[in-house]
Amino acid sequence: MPAASGPGDVVKAFQAKFPQYEVNYTRFVNDDRGNLKLDTALQGGVDIDVYFTYSQGALALRAGSGLAADLTDRVTADPDLKVFLDTEQPRSYIDNGRVKALATAREPFFVLFNEKLRQQAGVELPHDWTIDEFRSTAKQLTTGRTVGAYTVPDIARIALGPNYWYDGNRSNFGEPHFEQGFRVGREMIADGTAFPWTEVLARHLDAYQQNSFLTEEFHLWSTAPFNLRYLYDAKKYPHDFKVAFAPSPTVDGKDWNGGSFSNFIMINPKSPKFEAAWAFVKFWLTEGATPMLKGGKLPALGGVTDDQIITGMLGKEPDKYFDMDSFRRVVLEADPKLATDTRLTGFPEITLAVKQQRDLCWLGEKDPGVAIREVRRLADAAIARNERRP
Amino acid sequence: MATATVAAAPAVRTEKAPGIKPRGWIGFLFIAPNLLGVIAFTLIPLISVVVLAFTDWNLVSGLGGITFNGIDNFVAIARDPGFWHAIGLTLVYVVVSVPLTVVLGLALGIALDRPLPGRAVLRAIFFLPYIVNVVAIGMTWLMLMNPRAGLVNQVLDAFGIQPGWFASSHWALPALIVMAVWGGVGYCSLIYLSALQDAPRQLYEAADIDGASAWAKFRVITWPSLLPTTIFLLVTLIIGASQGFGLIALITAGGPGDSTTTISYYMYQTGFQFYRFGYASAIGLVTFVGVLVLTLLTWRAQRGRSLND
Repeated sequence: MPAASGPGDVVKAFQAKFPQYEVNYTRFVNDDRGNLKLDTALQGGVDIDVYFTYSQGALALRAGSGLAADLTDRVTADPDLKVFLDTEQPRSYIDNGRVKALATAREPFFVLFNEKLRQQAGVELPHDWTIDEFRSTAKQLTTGRTVGAYTVPDIARIALGPNYWYDGNRSNFGEPHFEQGFRVGREMIADGTAFPWTEVLARHLDAYQQNSFLTEEFHLWSTAPFNLRYLYDAKKYPHDFKVAFAPSPTVDGKDWNGGSFSNFIMINPKSPKFEAAWAFVKFWLTEGATPMLKGGKLPALGGVTDDQIITGMLGKEPDKYFDMDSFRRVVLEADPKLATDTRLTGFPEITLAVKQQRDLCWLGEKDPGVAIREVRRLADAAIARNERRP
Repeated sequence: MATATVAAAPAVRTEKAPGIKPRGWIGFLFIAPNLLGVIAFTLIPLISVVVLAFTDWNLVSGLGGITFNGIDNFVAIARDPGFWHAIGLTLVYVVVSVPLTVVLGLALGIALDRPLPGRAVLRAIFFLPYIVNVVAIGMTWLMLMNPRAGLVNQVLDAFGIQPGWFASSHWALPALIVMAVWGGVGYCSLIYLSALQDAPRQLYEAADIDGASAWAKFRVITWPSLLPTTIFLLVTLIIGASQGFGLIALITAGGPGDSTTTISYYMYQTGFQFYRFGYASAIGLVTFVGVLVLTLLTWRAQRGRSLND
């Protein structure tokens, strides 16, 4: 994350409180190259004391390869951090019973509505809804120039929660909700209520969803707080509508939120300054994360007031760009069930398999059942291969 | 009797100037900057890849995490459908794009060899794609080949064809081939152009006196004289196409599905996304051997066929 999006201010506040410590924040972009640079830096003895891990695949690898200090004793001894020992809704990465990484951010998913188009279409803003209602709403909102939704929320995740890819020592893709997710997505694309996947791939839209939302190419947008920064920056991202919030839809009465606890902070076990590193980690977790709100990062432990969240995440004129009632209801007052994966065997391989087969399915080239069976085959192979490795 | 001749020749005296001793290492000092670069960035990585091919290693575990596993990686490669799929795609990519690039490059080279108005400008224009940044090329073609709004499909619409290009697993590889050919034709034409200007003029004059047709002159004089150039182009293009990575990483990331996961991209995925560096090194080694064999076969195929042989 760029220093200007929050980390720089966290560092400043820490140094003001602990003048005896000096902190340098270095950004490694969270992509293949950036992660590789960080891995080699950690291996090569570069002076890194504290670092962040965003990708789940890298999390397991670093924790399992001796690149993460054991924080169990510190967490256990600190009443403020007891919540990190929770395994029902985990906020930490626990490797063989030892706490190796702590989530700094809470990233709940929600569905955004373009208020101008919603009112034109005469659609109710849902307070709670099912996946079928999501589909019918998308249909109502589809016009000659605006597609109803970008895509369907992750049906299997909502139904199954954390570690949904795994079933014992095999993959869980035989579970019907996975095929349902592929099928619903494909049907919505076919009937014009979800964005055509040919366009998504041809324009590399996945990384720039906000642009198409702001230019009203699609309406419903299932997303997370980090994308809110585009919605109040009228200079860079001009638009003339307010945005309203709805919770993620439910699936068969199941209500896991698609979001998770994330942005894991870790300490390099080779750090000769463990006490300073721990002081920084604890500061970030318990009192210092407020500046991260401007990057759309809600602190994992809370500890911020509603007003701080509003001004931090929604800019200087929140009423101008956001429907505040729905924001309060969906983001401030709700307590969604976040699903954080802690089982990460073969995670990068499975991620790729899901993406590849989903693309083929949503392009209309492969039947959802056939596509999900191929994911299952590839995932089973990846799990077997990785569990064999030392 | 060469030895007798040498014996009869006056002995060459290699007297040293007084006070100066020959110091061989001085030469190494002069080439040290380059030599160190080659050792650090070519030789050591090369040796590392060969060593790592026989290990199970994820990089993150450091040098202490290297586990030698004999030929396990090579056995796994033989059974890996992903590897064979990538090899198949790479072969298609090479077999289609390389000859197309050479043939079109030759045609363009011959066309530009004639006295045309603005010939120098035309040469520069055709050579431009070869030196333009790969990102700029990728982004431009991505827009041109947009299935719905791209210029290419708007033109093809007149013929009733609407390829999905990068948004179709059937069309993504052909799209990459089109880009590769477009990028390489200018370079080929320039190389051919310089070869054409070295063609033996007296043979053409003799052929003219004999009343040979244009085709006969091309078949009997031009083509054989261009053979070494063609082989050079084939070899370099085959090696280049086998390693094709930039545009794939930029535009398709191996997709849709795995329809553009060529061997170099598969190697990258295996190493840098799945952190299976030992396996990726083994793939690299196998690919190297494959490309070497292909190159040697191409090289051998032309022996004795050149006009100069």
